[in-house]
Amino acid sequence: MMEALRLLAHDLALSGGLPASFQYGFVTNAVLCALLVGPVLGSIGTMVVTKRLAFFSQAVGQAALTGVAIGILIGEPPTAPYASLFGFCVLFALALNFTKNRTRMSSDTLIGVFLSISMAIGASLLVWVAGQVNVHLVDKVLFGSILTVNDLDIAVLAVMSGLVGVVGLARYNRMLLASFNPQLAKVRGVQVAFLDYVFVVMVTVITVASVKIIGAMLVEALFLIPAAAARIWSGSMRGFFAITVAISTVSTLVGILAPMEFDLPIPSGGAIILCASLFFLAATVSRLFTRHAS
Amino acid sequence: MRDDIATTARGPSIHIQGLGLTLGRSSILENVCVDIVPGTIHCLIGPNGGGKTSLLRSLLGQMPHTGTIRIDWPAGRRIGYVPQQLDFDRDLPMTVDDFMAITVQDRPVFMGLSRRKACAVAEVLDAVGMSQKRKRRMGALSGGERQRVLFAQAMLPFPDLLILDEPMAGVDEVGSQFIAKAVMDIRAKGTTIVWIHHDLAEVRELADTVTCLNRTVVFTGDPAEVLSPEHILEIFSHAHHHGKKP
Repeated sequence: MMEALRLLAHDLALSGGLPASFQYGFVTNAVLCALLVGPVLGSIGTMVVTKRLAFFSQAVGQAALTGVAIGILIGEPPTAPYASLFGFCVLFALALNFTKNRTRMSSDTLIGVFLSISMAIGASLLVWVAGQVNVHLVDKVLFGSILTVNDLDIAVLAVMSGLVGVVGLARYNRMLLASFNPQLAKVRGVQVAFLDYVFVVMVTVITVASVKIIGAMLVEALFLIPAAAARIWSGSMRGFFAITVAISTVSTLVGILAPMEFDLPIPSGGAIILCASLFFLAATVSRLFTRHAS
Repeated sequence: MRDDIATTARGPSIHIQGLGLTLGRSSILENVCVDIVPGTIHCLIGPNGGGKTSLLRSLLGQMPHTGTIRIDWPAGRRIGYVPQQLDFDRDLPMTVDDFMAITVQDRPVFMGLSRRKACAVAEVLDAVGMSQKRKRRMGALSGGERQRVLFAQAMLPFPDLLILDEPMAGVDEVGSQFIAKAVMDIRAKGTTIVWIHHDLAEVRELADTVTCLNRTVVFTGDPAEVLSPEHILEIFSHAHHHGKKP
């Protein structure tokens, strides 16, 4: 099916129906990924922002670096070390959540400690395995690259997006209520502790699946920036969700296509986040003007 | 006890025997014994830190404790709960309707209130005088208005047992009148109500039974009888002794 889609895009590009860059298969791959990543990260982002878990998503994104290093160390393909990536990041997120539920330490401090430990392990392992791989591969993991996206990456992303979408939508209200008041949520039959774990696993798996496109260092920004901009522009949760998903999807598409179309030497992850940041800047400026005018 | 209690209570009777609760090294509750009559308003009063909220949370099965809590449900087991406050970002674009949708339905809030729930939500918001502010952001409401919305969610579905953890805190005169009326309407339908309250004048007026709690039961009974100047002084002196506000 993927091959058929690439051929279709190729033919449309030749006949002028699509930009010339679609002659290349990797562009079609990247756009398909963008159409999955944008809506899913945007949707989950509304929950991340509402539940005030921005720092957590950053920690999980950066834990991916350690996952890659472990993957290279145990002999997984350097461009797709999915077993190590998913294994380490999910363990990291579960351990963090478990510890958070059992200490009185503030959430920020605890996440900072876990993030530092994970980064220290990741940096040490990467230096250790640096001789085994082309170091530029690490750049691609950190900042994203559409050139290395293949059918396996798209399949992983599609499966994870589907799972996260189904679970997240079915439990959207319950997850929010649990963060507003756990006691009230429990009275209403919400399994607060269980849903907390489900949420951190959801954030983790979709983060890992998006690393190829956006990069480990930047994936968390796509959870936050579109939702932060949309929060300014919207007057209800419906608007908040719709605007977040729109900004996230447009930013991902523009961030992937613009560097190619305009021959800009920047990675896809950077371009995506810069584009989302323009929306945030516009929202902030518009709010300043609105306040000034009123 | 008031004489206008619903003849057939839909709410449960509650029997608490020898309840004890310890957090770390501090003892929060010791040998608490309380009986709550079905279909009545039972107010809990006492100094801050006296264990009232802990008792409610034990009642809800949310805190490990010693002793026994027996709840005899005659029919349904629906519990309405009004917490002291909500912890959310005040800038979040969550309207009153959005909050109601989050609490009463599974359909994701960004899809709006379901048609099935919309009428019931309109009714309960009207009962607490918030029907004109349904499109307002929760973060833009006053503390008292937010409490009224919190009270409204507890009425859906209609509760057999209603647990109120200081719903009047920060509520203005108009708001507290709405809440008091709603509580009396709910009680008239036979619901058992357990209510933490600080306003002794209102307790005297609305409660069927009052229990003063300061780690253990200080006194319990008909408010007209037990809320005597001596007992009130006792609450204050306990509070003073422990350096707490009544």
